[in-house]
Amino acid sequence: MKEELPFDHEPDAQLGAALREALAPQGHDAFVARVVAGFTTPRAGSWDVLAGWAGRGIAAAALLALGAGFAAGRVMQPAASIEEALLTAPADSGTAAAAVMRGDNPPDASIVFAIRP
Amino acid sequence: MSRDPQPQAGGPRIELREEAELVTRSLAGDRTAFGALVERYAAQARRVARAVLRDPDDADDAAQDAFLSALVKLEQYDPRRPFGPWLMRIVANAATDRRRRRSVRSAEPLDPGVVGGGPRPDTAAERSALSERLRQALAELPERRRLAVVLFDVEGYSHAEIAGMLKIPEGTVRSEVFHARRKLRTLLEDWREPS
Repeated sequence: MKEELPFDHEPDAQLGAALREALAPQGHDAFVARVVAGFTTPRAGSWDVLAGWAGRGIAAAALLALGAGFAAGRVMQPAASIEEALLTAPADSGTAAAAVMRGDNPPDASIVFAIRP
Repeated sequence: MSRDPQPQAGGPRIELREEAELVTRSLAGDRTAFGALVERYAAQARRVARAVLRDPDDADDAAQDAFLSALVKLEQYDPRRPFGPWLMRIVANAATDRRRRRSVRSAEPLDPGVVGGGPRPDTAAERSALSERLRQALAELPERRRLAVVLFDVEGYSHAEIAGMLKIPEGTVRSEVFHARRKLRTLLEDWREPS
């Protein structure tokens, strides 16, 4: 055993060997395999993080899809047909004529003739 | 005892050029190259982690985290410098972080027999008992002191290298090693001197 020297620059081989034995890890090959597997496949911790995000992500995506679908439906909804306009319109001729004028599609002849001036 | 393919304390280390080549290949996506570095430094990393964390499983988890962290940060490594000190700095940080998170350090009281000495460790059982006492004595030391003495006397790093790893002045490293040795040598002397 070496003397205690405050300015000792050399490692103490005996103390080092005793500490090395005390701290000796077991299962070297298994540990190396575990580390190598850790950087070739995602660790369980990574999946936990992803799973944590997944719930909120799915909810947000569903809400967004619902909103987008509603907006698209509003935009793409076809204009009311003349028949529908006439059925909902009051029975006076001015309103019926106005409904014909508002319609996007040409009116059926029978409907035109049904409007009395 | 487990196989330890690493350089012994004070012994020859892996060539700088070889390390740089392994790092270059790792950065290019060659995972077997990084596996070679893991193989080389695994035992050392586990010992250093165990110097901080008494539980071997915790120490292994910390060492594994450190290797993965090293892989992520590999571009930051300067290939003109030895790989070991750079990696051990990451290992020490990983172990310290884990200890802080888990509050593992429960400051178990020393076995009354630790400092009181005992028979010479001639048999396997006695050697095992000495190892346990050394681990307990290490656990009684402040964390930085434990790391300093293990990195210096077990792993063979220089005071300057340890100072870089622990981010403390070189003089502080010398002081920490000195105080750690004083306690641990007393324990070893007591084992060697027949009562």
